[in-house]
Amino acid sequence: MNDSVTMPEMPDDVLISVRGLKKYFPIRKGWRSSHVGDVKAVDDVSFDIRKGETFGLVGESGSGKSTVARLILRAYVLTGGSIRFRMTDGSVAELGELTDKQMRPIRKEMQMIFQDPYSSLDPRMTLLELIGEPLKVNNYGTEEQIKERVAELLKMVGLRPEYILRYPHAFSGGQRQRIGIARALALNPSFIAADEAVSALDVSVAAQNINLLQDLQEKLGLTYMFITHDLSMVEHISDRIGVMYMGRLVELGDTDDIFRTPLHPYTEALLSAVPQPDPRRRKEGKRIILKGEIADAANQPTGCAFHPRCRFAKDCCKTDKPTLKTVNGRQVSCHFAGEIELAGV
Amino acid sequence: MNNKPANMPPERLLDLKDVNVHFELREGIVKAVNGVSYHVNRGEVLGIVGESGSGKSVAVRAIMRLFPKNLHESTGQIRFQPTPGEEVDISSLTGNSRQIRQLRGNRIGMIFQEPMTALSPVHSVGTQITRTILLHRQCSKKEARERAIELLGKVQLPRPELLVDNYPHQLSGGMRQRAMIALALSCDPDLLIADEPTTALDVTTEAQILDLLRGLQDELGMSIIFITHNFGVVADIADRVSVMYLGRVLESGPVDDIFYNPQHPYTRALLQSVPRLGQAPVKRLKTIPGMVPDPFSVPKGCPFHPRCEFAVKGLCDVKDPEMVSFSNEHEARCLRAGKLEEAAQ
Repeated sequence: MNDSVTMPEMPDDVLISVRGLKKYFPIRKGWRSSHVGDVKAVDDVSFDIRKGETFGLVGESGSGKSTVARLILRAYVLTGGSIRFRMTDGSVAELGELTDKQMRPIRKEMQMIFQDPYSSLDPRMTLLELIGEPLKVNNYGTEEQIKERVAELLKMVGLRPEYILRYPHAFSGGQRQRIGIARALALNPSFIAADEAVSALDVSVAAQNINLLQDLQEKLGLTYMFITHDLSMVEHISDRIGVMYMGRLVELGDTDDIFRTPLHPYTEALLSAVPQPDPRRRKEGKRIILKGEIADAANQPTGCAFHPRCRFAKDCCKTDKPTLKTVNGRQVSCHFAGEIELAGV
Repeated sequence: MNNKPANMPPERLLDLKDVNVHFELREGIVKAVNGVSYHVNRGEVLGIVGESGSGKSVAVRAIMRLFPKNLHESTGQIRFQPTPGEEVDISSLTGNSRQIRQLRGNRIGMIFQEPMTALSPVHSVGTQITRTILLHRQCSKKEARERAIELLGKVQLPRPELLVDNYPHQLSGGMRQRAMIALALSCDPDLLIADEPTTALDVTTEAQILDLLRGLQDELGMSIIFITHNFGVVADIADRVSVMYLGRVLESGPVDDIFYNPQHPYTRALLQSVPRLGQAPVKRLKTIPGMVPDPFSVPKGCPFHPRCEFAVKGLCDVKDPEMVSFSNEHEARCLRAGKLEEAAQ
C-alpha cells in the first residue's frame, strides 16, 4: 500500500509526519454490493506536526478534517500513504503498517477529545471508572493508586476531586468536556487530537476550556491537533494550520501568514465568511460570499475541486489538478498562487 | 409602569412587557423567562443574544403561543400591531385559539435551527408551502404552487420548478434552511422569527443565509427577531440587540452601542471572551468565572452577581437592579451601568 519508496529521515522536532495520506470509502450498490466508486474523504494529504505545537485543521463539513484525525489515531485503516509517529523513547513508528495489536502500546501516547461531551461519556460510569478505565486497561497499579491518579487528574483539569464518585449527568457541558480531557490525559500522552472540542459549548465556557488546554500544553509539553470550523478560535490557538477542501489540503503554513495574506482563494473566502463581532465591518461591505456548496464527495469536479466556486477560475482550473507548491514559504495548491491578490484579516 | 399602557406608537410592531414563562418540572418551578420586556419596530432586525438557558427561545415561543405541556404560568403583555391602529393582544390568546392560528405562519413566520426536524419529512417542500398559502389565502391550488415556486426562487434555490417536488431529505443543510425561509415567508409575514437559523451551518453557508435574509428584509420590509449565541452573527445582521441571561434582559440598545459601549458587565465580559480574527494575538482569553447556574438555583438579587467582576457585596446580591436608561433607547440592568469605566480602575 505504501507508494513511497524511501522515506527521508524525520527531523528531530517533528512528532508526526503524514505523507500522501489517503482514505477512500467504497460506494457499494446492488444485491452483490459491487464496488461502483469511492468517496475520496482524504486524498493525498501531507503535513508535519512539530513537537509542542498546536496544529489546526480547518475546513467546511465534509472536507475530511475529522477523517484525517481518525486516521492518525488509526481508528480507520489507511487506503494509502504513511503516518510516522515519534514515540517518547525517540523511536519512530510507521502507524500505517501496524496491526491493531501492534498499535496498542502506541495508543497510550496519542489521545482524542471529542466534540459532544454528552454522548462521549458513558452515563453509567462514575468519574473514577471513566477516567480510571484507561489506567486499569494498561495495568497502571492498584485500585488505590488509580484512585489517587484520577483525583490528581481531576485537579489538573479544574474539577474538585470530591466529585470522583459522581456520574456525568451531574455535570454541565463544559465540565463534561473537562472530564473528557482528564481521561485523555490519564496515560500521559504526547499527542492529543481535539475534534471540534469547544464547538458545542457556550462562549464563556469555551474560553475557559481553551485556556485550560493551553495551560496543560505548557505544563505537560503536549502537542495538539485542533480540528474546528471556528476560524477565530483556530487563529487564537494554533501555531500552524492546514486548510482542507474536499479531502485535500489547499493551503498549509504559519497561522499568522495564512490569516494575514491568504494565497488560496478558498482560504480567503473562508476568512471573509467568519462573522465578526464588529458591526462597523458590515457597512464596509467587503465580504466575499461563496456561491454554491461543497461538491458531492463521490463525484468530485475535474481539475481543481474548488473551481466551480472560485472567482478566479480559468480554463486550466477545470482540467488540471493543482499540486501543493511552495510559495513564500508556504504550501498552496492553486495554479495562480502568488499571482492573484487576496485579502486577509 | 401601569398595566394598561396607551396605544402602541405607529412604528411599533411588537411589544413585550414584563413577560414571564414558568415551567413545572419534577425538581420545581423553572422561571425560564422572568420579566422580559423588549420591542420590535417596523422594518428592523432585533438580535437576541444569550447563552444556553437564557430563555431567548422560550420568549419568542411565547409570542407564537407555542408552549410545552408542563407550562406552569405565562403572564405579561405581548402586543402585536400588524397595521398601525390594529392591535392584537397576543398574551390573551391560548395556544390553539382561532386568532393565534390566523397569525401564526401568516403575519408571523418562524424559522428554526434544525431544518431537518422542523420540516415534515413526508411532504414535499412544495406541498408544505402550498398548504400554508391555501390555509391563509384565498386562491387556487395552481396559484399557490406558482407562488411556492416563486418563493423558492426568491430564496435563491436553483431550479425552483423542479425543487418544489423534492423532499427535505433530498436537500443539503443550507438548501433546507432556504426552503424553511421560503415556507416562513409564504404569506408575506410582518414579523419573521429566526431561532438560531445558522448555528448548524458552515461559515460559508452561514454567510450566504445571512446575506439572503438581509436582502429579503430590504425587499419585503418585514421585521426580524434574530436569536443567536454568536456575537459575530448579531453584529452582522441586527439593528438593535437585547442581551439575555437567566430569563432576563440585561441590556438592550442599538447594535453599535452594545458592541462599542456596553454598559452591563455581562455584555462586556462576553464580548471580551470571544477571540477575534486578525486581532493582535492575546496569550489567554478572558473568561467569565464559574458557569451559568442551573435554573432551579437562580442567584438572589442580580442573577449575574456571582460571576461579575464589578459586583458589590451587600447590594448586588440583595436587590435585582432596575433598568438604567441611556440615550438612543440603550438600557442596562445594572447598578453600575454608566460607571463601569471608573469601576474597572
